[in-house]
Amino acid sequence: MLDLKVSKTVDARGAFCPGPLMELIGSMKTEPVGSVIEILSSDHGSAKDIPEWIGKVGHEYIGTEQKEGYWSIVVKKAK
Amino acid sequence: MTQETKKISLILSSDNHEKVQLAGMISSVAAVTGIEVLVFVSMGAVKKFKKGISDDERFSGGSFSKILREKKVPPYIDLFRQGKEFGGVRMFACPMALEVLGWTKDDLEDNLFDEVAGMTKFLIEADGSQLLNL
Repeated sequence: MLDLKVSKTVDARGAFCPGPLMELIGSMKTEPVGSVIEILSSDHGSAKDIPEWIGKVGHEYIGTEQKEGYWSIVVKKAK
Repeated sequence: MTQETKKISLILSSDNHEKVQLAGMISSVAAVTGIEVLVFVSMGAVKKFKKGISDDERFSGGSFSKILREKKVPPYIDLFRQGKEFGGVRMFACPMALEVLGWTKDDLEDNLFDEVAGMTKFLIEADGSQLLNL
């Protein structure tokens, strides 16, 4: 998973649902198609919801890594 | 046969902060998931959308509100605004609720309410959608 170069990291740690998802969406809007974006979230619900949203709207879910007290979710803007 | 949810109509009537917060969460998340959302704000809920109220007034009404405020959850006004910005959230303010308070649309938060529209219009617009009440 980490062979991909992350073009942007969104640090949403400390934010509660649906904050992290909204921050990801806001950031994705300004990135070009093909961008690999990493979002950091300390909110477990959001960490589960973000891949769901990615699947629903048609972007690419790369993977999730659990770190110390937060999750790193990597996605790719597909369109 | 399952029907994919494409539209939700939400009647928000409670002045309980928890419910208003939940309505904001449903609206914003549904909007970014491609679900059209129509929110009808009526009864005591209109008070939560008055322009310039304090955080004490915004977070009032629910036993869970205190902890939500402490944890700094996203403000519900921001959630509704994000729903409008990122997706298809439309908001109607109930004319009856405004009238009993002596308010107009100008007393409510800016750039949030699409129109002041009554029950008839709302029910026409909500036709065919899932209806929720908070």
